[in-house]
Amino acid sequence: MASEGDLGRKWDRCVADSAVKLGAGFGLGIVFSVIFFKRKSWPIAFGSGMGLGMAYSNCQHDFQSPYLLHGKFVKVS
Amino acid sequence: LNCFIFDSFRFLIKGGLAGAAVYVAYDQGLLGSGTQGAEALKKAQETLPPAIQEWTSYLGWEVRAAQLPPTPKFDFSLSDAWNKGVHTVMSALSVAPTRACEYTMEGWKYVKDLVK
Repeated sequence: MASEGDLGRKWDRCVADSAVKLGAGFGLGIVFSVIFFKRKSWPIAFGSGMGLGMAYSNCQHDFQSPYLLHGKFVKVS
Repeated sequence: LNCFIFDSFRFLIKGGLAGAAVYVAYDQGLLGSGTQGAEALKKAQETLPPAIQEWTSYLGWEVRAAQLPPTPKFDFSLSDAWNKGVHTVMSALSVAPTRACEYTMEGWKYVKDLVK
């Protein structure tokens, strides 16, 4: 599998995840705004920002973890 | 006491609704890893056009050429679009000198014909 194809797939995953998290944060912000905060606008902005932040963190983790190998010691008795 | 009970009950209802919304978002994988989010979007892309189609037919709005546009299909890949753009730009740049020569020759010929 070509590495540039893998990188392209990571970017696509990142964009899709950003869209999903932004939408989810926006939606949850609306829910909280209507239910608890008397329809103010700041929970919506807060939720959207949180969603974008979560997406950024996921993207960062995805891009920085290409060659991590998780091994474990197995005792041979 | 009645007011307190009513306020507590209202708070419980609101808390329950908010908690249910958060749980549904978590359960659908909207708050998880990048892979889960991408899968959720793909699932939504597959589910949305038939749902729109069903709702329009339920409401009686037939999909005709003049009235409503056909159900949209969402399928966007950033990397594919970027690569296509890069290919197009590079192809255009590679043929640019030849095309510039051709257009210059044609323009010169046109001016010569005008001057004659």
